[in-house]
Amino acid sequence: MRKFLDFFGLALRSIIHRRLRSWLTVIGVLIGITAVVTLISIGLGFDKTIKEQVSGVFGVDTFVVMDESMFGPGAHNGGGAEEYALDLDLLKSIEGVKVAAAIRERTGFVQGQPDAEGNVLQGFLPVSGLSTELMTEFKSFTGELAVMPGGRLFEPGDVDVAVLDYDISQRLGVQVGDTILVAGDGDKELNLTIIGIMAPPEEEASDDSGGFGMRFSGGSDGDTISVPYETMDLLWGPADDVIVTLVRIKEGYDVDEVADRAEKALNDRGSEISAITYTDISDAIGQMTSIISAFLAGIAGISLLVGGVGVMNTMFTSVLERTKEIGVMKAVGAKNSHVWTIFLIESGLMGLVGGIVGTILGLGLSGLASVFIGRAFNIEIITVVSFGLIGATLLGSFALGAFAGLWPAWRASRLPVVDALRYE
Amino acid sequence: MPLMSMKGVTKDYKLGKTLVRALRGLDMEIDKGEVVAIMGPSGSGKSTLMHILGALDVPTNGIAMIDGSDLKDLKESQLVTFRGQKVGFVFQTFNLVQTLSALQNVELPMIFQGIGKSERHRKAKDLLERVGLADRIRHRPNELSGGERQRVAVARALANDPEIILADEPTGNLDTESGQSILDLLKQLSTRDGKTVILVTHDPEAAEIADRIVRLRDGCIDTRKPKSSPIEDGDSHA
Repeated sequence: MRKFLDFFGLALRSIIHRRLRSWLTVIGVLIGITAVVTLISIGLGFDKTIKEQVSGVFGVDTFVVMDESMFGPGAHNGGGAEEYALDLDLLKSIEGVKVAAAIRERTGFVQGQPDAEGNVLQGFLPVSGLSTELMTEFKSFTGELAVMPGGRLFEPGDVDVAVLDYDISQRLGVQVGDTILVAGDGDKELNLTIIGIMAPPEEEASDDSGGFGMRFSGGSDGDTISVPYETMDLLWGPADDVIVTLVRIKEGYDVDEVADRAEKALNDRGSEISAITYTDISDAIGQMTSIISAFLAGIAGISLLVGGVGVMNTMFTSVLERTKEIGVMKAVGAKNSHVWTIFLIESGLMGLVGGIVGTILGLGLSGLASVFIGRAFNIEIITVVSFGLIGATLLGSFALGAFAGLWPAWRASRLPVVDALRYE
Repeated sequence: MPLMSMKGVTKDYKLGKTLVRALRGLDMEIDKGEVVAIMGPSGSGKSTLMHILGALDVPTNGIAMIDGSDLKDLKESQLVTFRGQKVGFVFQTFNLVQTLSALQNVELPMIFQGIGKSERHRKAKDLLERVGLADRIRHRPNELSGGERQRVAVARALANDPEIILADEPTGNLDTESGQSILDLLKQLSTRDGKTVILVTHDPEAAEIADRIVRLRDGCIDTRKPKSSPIEDGDSHA
């Protein structure tokens, strides 16, 4: 160890002595390191930002049940949500489940009120069945739903009621207190009292309230008739048209375990669903962002390679230049391994210095980039300072330098002492 | 028993495609504490002999015994240890490490022997003081005169307290005055410290400090009497 410290001192002096060339070599390394650190840090920042958004909406105690084709390997892209059959009561009875709320969707025959001339508007319209708990327990998914003054949303026990999107209420010419007729399968039909009309956008409560792309009701341009989930049973029978189910678990349970249990129980009953937790989504996002990060870092890695070749070149020049010095060191008792170690430390140090400066620059650049990208897309991107990344980069840059110096150092150590002393 | 003895030593090496026979069956002995000057024209094998005496090189044939060990029996690592501990070199061109101060240059051989910093420091300072450079220890080689550089080199040669000092044309690059002071220093190493000093030189004046002169010619000991020798040739044990 003592010798190593002395060799370190010798290597350092040699680097400092050849200041300009050393710096140029270091710059070659630091450009590569800066690029890699910047890109990886931005990638980590994106990853964390997206995950936090997801967890903000999801929480760690909630999972989503969707058709199995909607998530995971082989998930289909685009198009609307796939419908699936669901036994909501079974889901609610599963150990660990606290609340479960589902949305069904159908197209049904709807008939409004006769107008002054006695004309009645009727037609096929989308009908959504919403669990009451959606409005109370899952606000982070639905956003703050707002109905126009004088109306209200569903409450437990509601059956023959409906909430209409603003547009369709206008077209049907109805208001709160009126009734509409909705026809289901066969001869099932119900007269539903309108208890609320969704506020048009300008009157809607702040749009920033969350709403993770799960707004099931369209506001002003929607023409959906929303009814309580249970009402759908009366019109269309047991649910085979659920598009999404949200489940909150009881305290003390592990969300992934409960989700697995639910998935198994429901699929055993003939559903074809996936229970998706925060972890699943995070993993999927993580997988995506890490692929992108790795790809970008790989490109940046090419510049690291160039930096490494620069170190090698400098070291070869140095060995050539110091042939006589190597001869002298050997003449005064240096072993081959001593010479080898000194040169390796020297090249490793140049790598390390490049790594340190490059890491600082890279972190700074990624911070700046986060601010600018965040501004451009109006989101707050979290700047990630990963100590793992810093450690790995510093170690890696030293290793890169040392690796690039292996060959030159080996050449230096193998120089025959008599020839080296004669070298002019 | 002599400190060094050569018996039928030959050394061939290749220079490009030609085989150079630098030493052609050389016999000699050197006793402990002697000052021996090795003289001879260029190409006579002086440097090659010095390399073998300093364990920098091994003979092609013959026996080279130094301090009881046959060089041929020593592994590379043992040769390194041998020259690190038993031999100190002084070169014509000083061969100091330019990036190190005078003090650090003197410390260098001790670093390779794993001697601790404070001891190294103290010893190097003492040695530089001894060669008259107490006020120059922080100077880099390029801040020193030729004479001063060679003094640093002598101090470095003494770093590990070796038995043998090998000086290859130590005055070759120095003016007369500086050269003389280096020669005095070398002589002192023998008389005061009992070290064996081997001096390779062209310069008859330099050879004057020697107890004995060994002349080389075409890779062999030259046994002819020189026309006018400043001192009488010693017995070359040939």
